[in-house]
Amino acid sequence: MAENENVTAKKPRVRPIVRLGIFLISHSNYVSLICFVSGIVALLLLPILAKNTYVSENALMPGSANNMLSTHHVSHANKFINDLTDSDIESHKIIAHYMSALDAEVTYHKFYPQLNQFHPLHFFTSPDSGLVSKNISCSSLGINVAGIIRAPRGDGKEAIVLVTPYNPKKVGPGEALSLGIAYSVFSLLSRVTWLAKDVIWLVADSQYGEYSAVAAWLREYQAPAFHEADIVNSEICNDSNAINELGQNAYSDRKLYGGFRRAGTMAAALVIKVAEQGNHHEDSLNIYPEASNGQMPNLDLINIVNYLGVHKQGLRIKVTKMFSLLGSRWLNTLGGIFESLGQIARSLNPEWKFGISATEYVEGAATLASSLYYQGLGVPTGPHGAFRDYQVDAITLEISPKVSPTKMIRRNEFILLGGRLIEGVIRSVNNLLEKFHQSFFLYLLTSSSKFVSVGVYMIPFALLVAPLPILAASLHADASKSTPQSTSSTEVDVSHKSWKWLNAARKVLVIHLWGAIVSLLPYFLYQIPNSTPTTNFTVWGILSAFSLLILYFISASPIFEAAPSQPEKGEWASLKSVTISTAFIGLSLMSVINFATAEIGALLIVPICLLARPLKLDIRARSLRALLRATCNLVLGFIALPPVAYALTKGAFEGFYGTNVGDYWNWVESLWTWNSATYLYVGIVHLPCWALCIHILFHPC
Amino acid sequence: MMKKSKKVQWFWTWVIGSVLLRLILVYFPKNLNLSSRPEVSTPLTSIRRLAEGYWLKQSSMSPYAGSMYHGSPLLLTLLGPLTVTRIEGQPDHLLCSLLFVMADIVTAMLICATGKKLQAAYSSSLQLVGLHHLSEDSDVLPSGDFAALVYLWNPFTIVACVGLSTSAIENLMVLLTLYGACARLAPLAAFGWVMATHLSLYPAILIIPVILLFGYGPDAPPRKLFRQRKNLEVENSTTGDKSCLEDELINEKSMRSVFSWRPVVLFLFWALLWSSYVLFLCGIYVQQHGGLQEMFKRTYGFILTIQDLSPNIGVFWYFFAEVFDFFRSFFLIVFHGNILLMIVPLALRLNHRPCFLAFVYIVLASMLKSYPSVGDSALYLGLLGLFAYELKDMQFSFFLFSGYVGVSLLSPVMHNLWIWRGTGNANFYFATAIGYACLQIILVIESVSAMLNHDRMITKLSTAKLQNVKS
Repeated sequence: MAENENVTAKKPRVRPIVRLGIFLISHSNYVSLICFVSGIVALLLLPILAKNTYVSENALMPGSANNMLSTHHVSHANKFINDLTDSDIESHKIIAHYMSALDAEVTYHKFYPQLNQFHPLHFFTSPDSGLVSKNISCSSLGINVAGIIRAPRGDGKEAIVLVTPYNPKKVGPGEALSLGIAYSVFSLLSRVTWLAKDVIWLVADSQYGEYSAVAAWLREYQAPAFHEADIVNSEICNDSNAINELGQNAYSDRKLYGGFRRAGTMAAALVIKVAEQGNHHEDSLNIYPEASNGQMPNLDLINIVNYLGVHKQGLRIKVTKMFSLLGSRWLNTLGGIFESLGQIARSLNPEWKFGISATEYVEGAATLASSLYYQGLGVPTGPHGAFRDYQVDAITLEISPKVSPTKMIRRNEFILLGGRLIEGVIRSVNNLLEKFHQSFFLYLLTSSSKFVSVGVYMIPFALLVAPLPILAASLHADASKSTPQSTSSTEVDVSHKSWKWLNAARKVLVIHLWGAIVSLLPYFLYQIPNSTPTTNFTVWGILSAFSLLILYFISASPIFEAAPSQPEKGEWASLKSVTISTAFIGLSLMSVINFATAEIGALLIVPICLLARPLKLDIRARSLRALLRATCNLVLGFIALPPVAYALTKGAFEGFYGTNVGDYWNWVESLWTWNSATYLYVGIVHLPCWALCIHILFHPC
Repeated sequence: MMKKSKKVQWFWTWVIGSVLLRLILVYFPKNLNLSSRPEVSTPLTSIRRLAEGYWLKQSSMSPYAGSMYHGSPLLLTLLGPLTVTRIEGQPDHLLCSLLFVMADIVTAMLICATGKKLQAAYSSSLQLVGLHHLSEDSDVLPSGDFAALVYLWNPFTIVACVGLSTSAIENLMVLLTLYGACARLAPLAAFGWVMATHLSLYPAILIIPVILLFGYGPDAPPRKLFRQRKNLEVENSTTGDKSCLEDELINEKSMRSVFSWRPVVLFLFWALLWSSYVLFLCGIYVQQHGGLQEMFKRTYGFILTIQDLSPNIGVFWYFFAEVFDFFRSFFLIVFHGNILLMIVPLALRLNHRPCFLAFVYIVLASMLKSYPSVGDSALYLGLLGLFAYELKDMQFSFFLFSGYVGVSLLSPVMHNLWIWRGTGNANFYFATAIGYACLQIILVIESVSAMLNHDRMITKLSTAKLQNVKS
């Protein structure tokens, strides 16, 4: 049937969707320009499009009950703080003593700070239980203390976790206060009747880092390792202090238990900290939600903290922002423009209320930028990050008092304030029937009470990357058309015209292989003893260039050349089309793994990908437009090189003073040690695409 | 001659390279953990389930107890002992891995041999219809070697092999069928077909292409061309002298368009023999555990009723997780009918190209299978290489390539987002499964239409030539 139609109808009818596709592809230049510009505009509009947060889960009911935390609990907490700071016996024993006095089950968890190992494909696979590193020195033993209150009304299948990091070697006043706040809440919760979930108070030993202590405890809780050989060995060498006393205590105190104790699955976790410096204005609360690879806790958790903090305790809730953006002139101007646009719109129709004031816009933009930055970095902003790897929603609450905790007079008042906030949050979470699922997991914050959801923030990204497949299709079509069509079928056409891209794909594959090699090189550079970041960086750069040269020669050798052909006229076009397609695939993939990285990466790599064109052609053309494009290409090519991009961004935000090449190495090292997917993105997607674009720029056509 | 030997050398270098890559990857099983990926191991092909089945059998229980193992008993006797043998200091399942590597290589060699047979037959049949220049063209690209290398270097094949999926063995059996049919070895083809059907049921539909292969011979241009040519030459020969050579040619041409029943009957006889033999062996093995009926229920029944709804790269699990129980049997019939529905029209349209028909059937089966894995895609992508010459004008090849790369990377990420991070849900993963299914549909449509275009082109050229001769 279809055949007959084809034969009879001389001019094949084209379906509208195909026609639309052809239209887009044939006008790819304009389409990509429009898409790219509107993508950037949409990105700038995000602070305006942000919605107010709302508590989505009905069961939470924040603030519906009156606070029960009284001065009585606070005075107990005060005593606890004094004991902790003044006494000379080991602090974990005091904490355990106080916990067991509240009828809590207390366990010590001893751990060895784990060296961060690189698990590059963490987001592809399941989390593993982690391997205990072989050479543990006996001196570096950390002891976490965990107290568990069993809920009188619960079945012990769910739990809420409170975490207070502290350093037993030197308990600072802020840490002591945070312990005090947690203690006051804990002492209240041990007596209340409404508790439906067990409450775990983890006092994390932060002398080797807050994160690693919490992560070690969580690993033991969620995925215990059963190869205990190393631990037994280390117990032998650790004869003196902790372990023996643990055993003795177990006899004296029935509440203290040598093994590891668990409560149920964790519904939520709160990390409580008190800032060491006062901020001189008012009591405020900083929220740190970002976990590894840009994962965020459920928005409802932030919502209840925000709601209780603002409406019940009168705290000022803050989310980190880029302070350098606040003073930037162009952003203020932009804010002004948007404000006046909003006013004009409102004067036309009072129903339209999309305008926000310029200062609000700038604040929102600065917060959004930092939200993007910290998510994009993929490094958790606090110990709460460890929880997210086990699907537990967690945030760090840093309460900063008006005056510095060292010279605080009204300590009781402060503890009452913090304690009531925590109590309210725990009471809300206690009401949960299921785990957090109602609200968003994928969002960006523009202030503590405003957010941009995934449906909105995907628009700018989609607009940014949309030109890539369109341009790739148009280039591909051109490249396959440009081959001299062998109409006379006697001519042998070995390089089949529809498979011509295979040659370009081979090149692209080789370059991406190079990218993988470059990202593996730091693993070997780590083995070099006592080297400075600068030398490491230099060696890395030289080795990368060297490996590129080697791969280039291997791939140019006849092994890979199926039919050795002269560089064709349209070769760069097909190479560019394959490059763009890989960039598109890489960016789309990254937008699923870590949206913020993909967004920032798209801003850097998409312009050069779109514009790249052999300089020779442009110079030959000698028109103003061609020369302009050539200079644009060179500038963009320079900017898109990862170290340069890093240096420029750093310079833009922090000033160029004191920038050196070693900084980039340090930055990369931090990404590497935190298993950030951003590292892989830079190595395997960004760098090869950049190299290919440069290759196209200097293509001998 | 020089060029040819050089080419052969390169071919072997690449083959050895692929083996080395597999061996290297086999030594990192812990880091890759491929055998637990849903893309690689389905309930039918997972080696862990096989090991469990073997363990049950060793402790004199039914291997099918507890809904763990759903494969063939013969596979248990073959692979079972290998799963428990451990060599000190070597990774677990090393022997199994080596067996799968070997299976991959044998499959590749079979593809290569099949390709050579197809190519020789095709160029001779092109000469018969008088298109000599095309037959020279088709000889330029060694499609057999090409297809074998595509199969060996396909990441899907490598992943399936390193992930210890038994689909490597299934693929081997399918290729045995095709090779046996192309080489006209009825016993071999029958053995391959019986084993492939026994292992995974879906290759049963390959009986149609195999019968066509035995009946008509390997892929050739449309049959009416031979008839036209014959008529013309008969006309010519009545006027001119009749030489012995021409007579032979005419005979061959007439043979091309006649279905020969003898080899087909032979094949069917052998198939009957082999299947009764296989059933006999299976019967002995499962004698004490419910007999053959239980085996059929646990293998074919498990495939057809889709009891395991754990996520995979297919589209059925999602649907049957959602569907109401009382509609279940209806939709089971509808979904399985999908494959059967397409068998007859395709067989009618492509009966002159049985090997290509087999390729299309394999793609359809691996798309509409109840438990698909990447091993199935590896098979049809390898076979696609066999038709490199005919499909040189295939459209959307670049789009398909990018699509396959994109989906195969996106799918594990979505799975991670759903299962481990908990920020996504089943829809995220299922979206990639739909994307994957769409890609396979486009692949089938484009390859079939490219093949039909190729046929049209040949018809046009051949008739033009005939006109010339006549005038």
